[in-house]
Amino acid sequence: MREAVVLTCLIGLGAFVGTGCGGREPPPPSDAGPKPSQEAPAPSPAAADTAPRRAAEPGDEYPRPPRPARQYTIGVVLPHLSNPHFVGQAYGYIDEGQALGARVTLLEAGGYQYLDRQISQVEDLIASRVDAIVLVAVSGPGTVGVVDRAVAAGIPVINCNVMTDSETVVARIRSDDEVIGEMQADFMGQVLDGEGTVVMLRGAPGTSWAEIRGNSFKRRLAEAYPNLKVLGEQYSQSTPADGLRLMEDFLQTYPRIDGVYNGSDTTAIGAAQAVLASGRQGRTIITTTDFQSDTERFMREGVITATVLQQTVVIGRWGIRAAINHLERRPTPETLWTPLLIVTRDTMDSIDMRGVRSPTGWTPPVGHGG
Amino acid sequence: MNAMSSKPNGAPPGAAFIGSHPPNGLWSRIGMPAVLAVLLLAFGWANPNFWSATNAANVSRQISALALISIGQTFAILSAGIDLSVGSLLALVSVVCAQQMRDYGVAAGILAGVATGGAAGLVNGVLITRANVPAFIVTLGMLVAARGLALTLSGGLPVAGLPRAFLVVGAGSVGPLPVPAIIAGGAFLVAHLALSRTQFGRYVYAMGSNEEAAILSGINVVKHKILVYVVSGLCAGVAGVVLTSRVVSGQPTLGETQELYSIAAVVIGGAKISGGVGSMGRTFMGVLVLGILGNGLNLIRVSSYVQNIVIGAIIVGAVFVDMARERRR
Repeated sequence: MREAVVLTCLIGLGAFVGTGCGGREPPPPSDAGPKPSQEAPAPSPAAADTAPRRAAEPGDEYPRPPRPARQYTIGVVLPHLSNPHFVGQAYGYIDEGQALGARVTLLEAGGYQYLDRQISQVEDLIASRVDAIVLVAVSGPGTVGVVDRAVAAGIPVINCNVMTDSETVVARIRSDDEVIGEMQADFMGQVLDGEGTVVMLRGAPGTSWAEIRGNSFKRRLAEAYPNLKVLGEQYSQSTPADGLRLMEDFLQTYPRIDGVYNGSDTTAIGAAQAVLASGRQGRTIITTTDFQSDTERFMREGVITATVLQQTVVIGRWGIRAAINHLERRPTPETLWTPLLIVTRDTMDSIDMRGVRSPTGWTPPVGHGG
Repeated sequence: MNAMSSKPNGAPPGAAFIGSHPPNGLWSRIGMPAVLAVLLLAFGWANPNFWSATNAANVSRQISALALISIGQTFAILSAGIDLSVGSLLALVSVVCAQQMRDYGVAAGILAGVATGGAAGLVNGVLITRANVPAFIVTLGMLVAARGLALTLSGGLPVAGLPRAFLVVGAGSVGPLPVPAIIAGGAFLVAHLALSRTQFGRYVYAMGSNEEAAILSGINVVKHKILVYVVSGLCAGVAGVVLTSRVVSGQPTLGETQELYSIAAVVIGGAKISGGVGSMGRTFMGVLVLGILGNGLNLIRVSSYVQNIVIGAIIVGAVFVDMARERRR
């Protein structure tokens, strides 16, 4: 009888694998962008109203290489997909993979706390002999061993967005987190006239982005705006619930908070709710990074004041481009910086969102051949 | 393990008549191996790389930490208890081990890590037996507190800068055998012998089958229960050290939900959650099923979301089948 249970599962799995294999064509039809006939400029839905796809898309500073003769298999390992930041990136990987005829497998660890799971996923990619691995590390020091093992097994590793401490990666592709911290500090310093009190929601402990952004924010404040005082700072997982809880407690602890720094907009959304509930909107300004739909809503409502836009889709595209370039034995730059831009309510509507977000309604095909 | 003073030596009390043996019958002997064989064949068929030596080494590395904490969990569940703290203990052990290692060297780090696990287990055991708080509550408290302690000690940040030599524990291998697999395999062997060949093992079954009867037959239940949780803590200690080496750093966020997977491994193996029935061999099978499922599903590119559904169904399914068979008898 237990056999029956397991067999049923396996049959289910069989069906799954079957559909998985059959599903190697492009994901949702709404997104049927470039057909395998690559160069053919099919209109992308996000840009349907304007130009054909290959006309000056965000991210063309690092251009798309010619489509390789063979189909490469690329494993992409992400911390999680519950943040639109990574969904945007996932879209970049999948869409670029299709444009370059590569088979992209997305794996997500389920959160920054699941380092052991991410390590297992990379090991599984090594075992299944993918051609290249794109890694968004859940931990800098924690991923060194497994990255070194992948490279030793002859599988090149491209490091995107969140950095591993391993020295063996082929290329690093990221926003400059130093600049993200500084941009928020400068914005706050100018809006608050260099005077006031600030709290920091730094984000996931032990990640390069939370560390570098937070530190550069503080450094810039100390250098340029010495009268802006940091009252407190907290790390947490990147979820709105954590941001809400921490911000409520900050508001209880300090009667007057003029500015809230956020390492990522997932905590900013929580912080915005806390500020709204306390009735301090307008008097407490919130700055953050990224631009998911709730961030946009809170900006329109004037609760979140400014955000530094990362080109998440571009990070994904460049990751695949770098992998293909390396596999095709073309030189690959060691570090690629994706562009950054700070926006406010007044400027947000003039942004080209194709580099920032996945098309509305797109969902990432986790674990499938892309 | 000389425990009894009130009893004459010879046959250990209780063990002979209390249900100390797993249910017999064809199924219990070949059931789990058959399931494993089906899994192995199915995954191998779906992705030929599944069968490679690299992947075998992979799986054994990936499951070694779960295997170790499942050993401790088997003792706890067999004695009609439970140890929810093991997941967080991995994190606490990892942080303590890494900090000591950074300052005082590899040996000191390993020792401190394992000792931390044992000490936490001792606290669990003493609270359960002396303060009479249920094991579920005590270890739940430890689950939360150990995580907090790990975060406090580390300031929430990973502890990096471990000596290169330490990496052998997690990444090294002796011939074709990965070191973590040797450690976990050895621990299974020792635990199996302890459970099946020693007085302590028989007492664990006795306590789990009928605690009252165990007390009446003169077993020092307090002492042996404490020992059960110390063993579980020590297992978490060793597992934490192995994981620390695998992730090359002390990680305060390590091991989340691992306590639940260790319970799953024990019950998939066919142990009764109410105690008294189960064995190390069966837990070993449970660990293999979980490890091979996770790895195999990754290799055949099943979404990690769907994986959770499959594993959840298998946990409930395994227990359902066991219960159904029990009713038939």
